[in-house]
Amino acid sequence: MNKKMIGVFQVVSISLIWVLFAGIAVWIVNLIKESVRLHDAPDASVAISIVAILVFLVLASVLTYVFIGLRKGRIEDKETETNPVSG
Amino acid sequence: MLPVSTQPHPDAPLLRPIERPARNFYLIVGILLAIILYTGFVYLRQILFGLGVTGMAQPVTWGFYIINFVFFIGISHAGTLISAILRLSKAEWRRPITRMAEVITAIVLAIGGLHPIIDLGRPDRMSHLFFNGRLQSPLLWDITSITAYFTASTVYLYIPLIPDIAILRDRGVKPRWLYEFLSWGWQGTERQHKVLDRAMNILMVIVIPIAVSVHTIISFIFSMTVQPGWHSTIFGPYFVVGAIFSGIAAILVLMIVFRKIFRLEGYLKHIHFNYLSILLLIMSLLWFYFTFSEYLTGYYGHEPNEMRVFWYKFTGDFAPYFWAMVSCNFFLPVLLLSNRKTRTIPGILIASLSVIIGMWLERLIIIVPSLANPRLPYPTGIYIPTHTEWMLFIGGISVFILGYMLFARFFPVISIWEIEEGRKESAKIVTERISSYMPDPEPTSAGE
Repeated sequence: MNKKMIGVFQVVSISLIWVLFAGIAVWIVNLIKESVRLHDAPDASVAISIVAILVFLVLASVLTYVFIGLRKGRIEDKETETNPVSG
Repeated sequence: MLPVSTQPHPDAPLLRPIERPARNFYLIVGILLAIILYTGFVYLRQILFGLGVTGMAQPVTWGFYIINFVFFIGISHAGTLISAILRLSKAEWRRPITRMAEVITAIVLAIGGLHPIIDLGRPDRMSHLFFNGRLQSPLLWDITSITAYFTASTVYLYIPLIPDIAILRDRGVKPRWLYEFLSWGWQGTERQHKVLDRAMNILMVIVIPIAVSVHTIISFIFSMTVQPGWHSTIFGPYFVVGAIFSGIAAILVLMIVFRKIFRLEGYLKHIHFNYLSILLLIMSLLWFYFTFSEYLTGYYGHEPNEMRVFWYKFTGDFAPYFWAMVSCNFFLPVLLLSNRKTRTIPGILIASLSVIIGMWLERLIIIVPSLANPRLPYPTGIYIPTHTEWMLFIGGISVFILGYMLFARFFPVISIWEIEEGRKESAKIVTERISSYMPDPEPTSAGE
């Protein structure tokens, strides 16, 4: 498997965490809608949802931050190798 | 494909199981796969014939599946929670332990999380939770918190694994594409280290409340009902204490097993076992304190329904299990671990295995007696697990062993880069830390 192909798979894999986040968010919003429709303690539902959605958002953001950060770190390293005078 | 590097590595014992796996590895994997396949067949039979193939019936409608669910999720606290606490408290002796603990969490959570679906009998009915769930129900909180904990612990396991994956990639270990894919281009630059450290710090802080919430919410499934023996305000912390307790025991057992199989005596030293076993001893005392408080309150209230469950556990049909639980979780570990002469590796292994068995019995003691003695005028229920339930239990354990073996086959069970970092920097960091909080000595006349 060549490096370009691996790079594509890496981007696809990191996007999966955002698919999970979007899925959870859509599911929870759907449950809130249901509780509003049935007048079934919607305020409690909203309070619980805020915590749950936020946790998944932070996790997805941390993973993406690491993915991008490591790539940037690698690129900078290469640049210094090719142009050692710069910096 | 490049060959495996012949360059000697300072931590060669950690790479040996990956570069040169033992011959009996495939034999054990084969046996485990056969057990798992048979378990799959047994489960398929349950789907076809329904929950009638289990020992569950009115009024005992929760049996092995929910016991194992609570038990496995409890064990999962071994990893991420303990690892995060040790990292946050900057305990330097954590370095060879954290990875092993984190792997337990990821595998066990996946197994435990499936048990409520197995318990459903009709797994297709899970869809009702997604489309018509009530967010006020602790069952929904459970799904959310377990999913969050699983995601967090997998990320928490993966991120500190990246530098080690890069070591394997650079040594040309097969399958190279896997290590290339998972290493995310790690080159060990200063900037990459900064990114990794920052992410780890965020995760450490997030993981602890999530882990605590998971077992608290599991306890809510019981304590938010008015069932005798369940309706208790201390169930949340009681479950969390029990989970950490069983988790530490699980780490100790795995450490002893891996130390023996992979010959890791140089990494997992007696001091690691000593520290963790003292922690296990403290948790044993804490567990006893919670158990005592729980039953004393119930006994003092003397509510008739509560007392029926109480005596059923203390002197009734479940008395052998109850007293076995107390012996396994309290008497035996305290006896073995409080004495320096018996706090040896065999002693710690016996105490840890005893705690694992004891904590499983605790889940049994909590769930079945309360259901067998309901408030409604039913005769006392009987629960005898069937072959199906036993097989699914054994299958679950087999999946855990297989998962752990596969992890150890492809990744180091001890963090190589953290050990290297520890060798280079720990002494300096610890000296600086000590000098930062120790008072400066008074100037003496000789010094003057």
